[in-house]
Amino acid sequence: MLQKSVIEDVLQAALETGGDFSEVFVEDRLTNNMTLQSSRLEKSLTGRDFGIGIRVFKGLHSVYAYTNDASKEGLLKAAHTAAKAIQSDNSKQTKVIPLMKSNIQTINPIQIMPNKVEKTRKLAVMKKANEIARNYDSSISQVIIRLKDEEQNVLIANSEGTFAEDQRVYSRMAIMSIASDGLDMQTGHYGPGAHQGFEFIENLDLEYYAKESARIAKTMLHADPAPSGKFPVIIDNEFGGVIFHEACGHGLEATAIAKNNSVFAGKVGEKVASDLVTYIDDGTIPNEWGSLNMDDEGEKSRKNVLIENGILKGYMIDKLNGRRMGEKSTGSSRRESYKFAPTSRMTNTYIAPGTKSPEDIIANTEYGIYAKYMGGGSVNPGTADYNFAVGEAYMVKNGKIDKPIRGATLIGNGAETIQKIDQVGNNLGHGAGMCGASSGSLPVNVGQPMVRVSEITVGGREA
Amino acid sequence: MELTTFRDQLFSEGETYGFTDMELYYEKTDSLRCQVFEGEVDGYESATVSGVSLRGLYKGKMGYAYTEKLEEDSIPYLLDNAKENAVLMESDPEALFSGSDHYEKLDLYTDALDDVQPEAIISFLKRVEEKANAFDPRVRHTEMTIMERKTFEKGLYNNRGLALSERNNFLLALISVSVEDNGELKSGMQFKISKDFAEMDADRLVKEAVEKALYALGGKVYPNKNYPVVFENNAAATFLATFASSFSAEAVQKEQSRLKGRLNDQIASDIVTLIDDPFLSEGIASRTFDAEGVPTSKCKVVDHGRLTTFFHNQQTAKKDGVSSTGHGGRHSYKGALQVSPSNFFVDPGKESFEALYSSMDEGIIITDLAGMHSGADPISGDFSLAADGFYVKDGKIVGPTNLMTVAGNFFDVLKDVIHVGNDLTFSPMSMNGYIGSPSLKIKQLSIAVD
Repeated sequence: MLQKSVIEDVLQAALETGGDFSEVFVEDRLTNNMTLQSSRLEKSLTGRDFGIGIRVFKGLHSVYAYTNDASKEGLLKAAHTAAKAIQSDNSKQTKVIPLMKSNIQTINPIQIMPNKVEKTRKLAVMKKANEIARNYDSSISQVIIRLKDEEQNVLIANSEGTFAEDQRVYSRMAIMSIASDGLDMQTGHYGPGAHQGFEFIENLDLEYYAKESARIAKTMLHADPAPSGKFPVIIDNEFGGVIFHEACGHGLEATAIAKNNSVFAGKVGEKVASDLVTYIDDGTIPNEWGSLNMDDEGEKSRKNVLIENGILKGYMIDKLNGRRMGEKSTGSSRRESYKFAPTSRMTNTYIAPGTKSPEDIIANTEYGIYAKYMGGGSVNPGTADYNFAVGEAYMVKNGKIDKPIRGATLIGNGAETIQKIDQVGNNLGHGAGMCGASSGSLPVNVGQPMVRVSEITVGGREA
Repeated sequence: MELTTFRDQLFSEGETYGFTDMELYYEKTDSLRCQVFEGEVDGYESATVSGVSLRGLYKGKMGYAYTEKLEEDSIPYLLDNAKENAVLMESDPEALFSGSDHYEKLDLYTDALDDVQPEAIISFLKRVEEKANAFDPRVRHTEMTIMERKTFEKGLYNNRGLALSERNNFLLALISVSVEDNGELKSGMQFKISKDFAEMDADRLVKEAVEKALYALGGKVYPNKNYPVVFENNAAATFLATFASSFSAEAVQKEQSRLKGRLNDQIASDIVTLIDDPFLSEGIASRTFDAEGVPTSKCKVVDHGRLTTFFHNQQTAKKDGVSSTGHGGRHSYKGALQVSPSNFFVDPGKESFEALYSSMDEGIIITDLAGMHSGADPISGDFSLAADGFYVKDGKIVGPTNLMTVAGNFFDVLKDVIHVGNDLTFSPMSMNGYIGSPSLKIKQLSIAVD
């Protein structure tokens, strides 16, 4: 993408005022976005993002400069800007270690590159999904199918000698159904995605995903407003994992830990969750939506066990925050694009499966709420106060699933909620989502088996 | 490559491809972002990014492509992809705007901001952090102390001679602090957007952020039920921003708004007037031309409760048999043409925030909302959001509540507004347009407390 010698010059120029580490991140990204609505292709966008980000450290200080100008002059200019801004005492000059090409293998094989596929072929899959969702029921008034594919080519080099190139390919189809009865409208959403090529889209079980999207919308149209109060809540697998992504995932990122902005700071070795909880962030699962060959600092991605049987084992750490903490990187550094400096983020985060069957968990619940599908949520990592929306839910009475309910938001405190997990099922599943934080919006998986929390506050429409 | 050279070459080659009408949209952003932590510069980001997008009419259909590489080899890239996309499109035909004789003369650019040096910004942030840490013994530390200066430049050109350009710039300061008392942790955030560095008041920012956090300490549980609610201005602005898409003609025409068929109906209480003003000098969404080059103008979307217009671009306007209202919008050169408000807000009334809650026998004040992207459905209007706030009894604030959810439906809330405050503010969380509101008192909403 860029010549090694040019990069070496840029890295050295960035260190000319006494910085002790410099990094160049080059990104060339091809994106395709298609939207089918009202059974017609309404949007089809194609584009190329291209830019370079230069980072310099001096101790715990960091500076980031980014630009689209890839000429040698443009890059040196950005490097000088960064060097000028880094606070240093001009003492010794750090020398760039000769760049050595990295040997990280790909664990995410791609069969069909999205940019090699005619758009008509992609449209055909979207139209099929549209038909299935619309035909599900007469109450389905609108279906929106979004197809997104991306080929992101990156080059990461730093003054410690790293020179790594990587290619990430993403494919995702999001199906949103709207059910309407003339007065009211409700939505159902399902959005499978993978770190994979067009083969993922072509092989998608459209019957399953499109029907589910429509079924959720229809069910919620006839659902009663959710009650308010404290209840045991059974959260089903896959995207149910969003609760723990918000309740504790963000709080375990070094971004918050390094500055003592998390309730989990300083608690390694302590019991922070119920014994049944083992919480893992694993970027090495082949072709999963959140997986990476290497992180955005060129570190090999890995499986990080965060919590084991309730005991806090470690955090997700990037290079800069690792300096603040006196810890090594865990291969968790990510950024949305060259427009962001990277920081520690999640990849595929999930609660490990237990032994209970989902049927037993429901049968064991006398009165509570069963959340079959979750929407999204957010958290304040500093306090661990979180919230998330329920997509499809039911009351549970006497161990049986009862009537559907809608409009529930679950709120609570993450540190408390993970102590209240009292049943963990055996049916682990992952769900694709987008996570937004300081280094931008990223593809991540959330996952879990079916899990029961003994008590969560539910805010419904009925007081 | 120079923009004008790129444009001319693109248009000329485009004709050989078979494009009849072509439009080039250009955007450039310069930003400087400084962050301070523990008395040191903790983050410093400097950037210049630009990109272009081509909209081209090929055999009567519109195709799009964008690139951030302003180089010769991007020309065939744009033309090939725009053509392929055009051929596939099945929606109503879009048409380019030929131009107008009259555009508002407005200079939104503040030259003085260019002279603000990074050192001055950093020194301001260090002062803010020092003051925050010294403000109260319960302050643990600052979580974020940030200032950003942003300059936007945009241009719209077509192959029929249209050439429009505009610039805008502003400063954003943000501080967030963490406080602790007896093991309880709370955080408080305050921000300020301004075009004048001198307007950035360190003492005021600190006081507002720290007090927000301190007043939240000692939250109590209250019964789950329906309460009269006062949305404090920034929470009201965030709330309106969440549902602003309901007013888009595009959403209405695509079965995604409950306002469909309600034009000229009374959809809100008669004290509610919603205004869209593209000429506000302090509005970051201000513009004299929209994303299609249509001249913008101020309008009343809701007039004393009556829905008077939707936001239109040319395509939606044609479908409804009306003129474009100048609300063609794009998120950036990467986005397709859609509809976007400019500076869209609830017209302030006369009452102070205190007057709004001092008339409540019992009620809740909401100061912050969270979870808007998931707990709110802009299509049905249903919402169940996490909220922070206070409990009011006999017209006085008793104290903070524990974390709450507030639930209801946006279209009911519009009808249930019983008082409108005088304290207009805008939400920095607006994704589409710059959305604002004063504090609003609502007849009742369902509240559950953790």
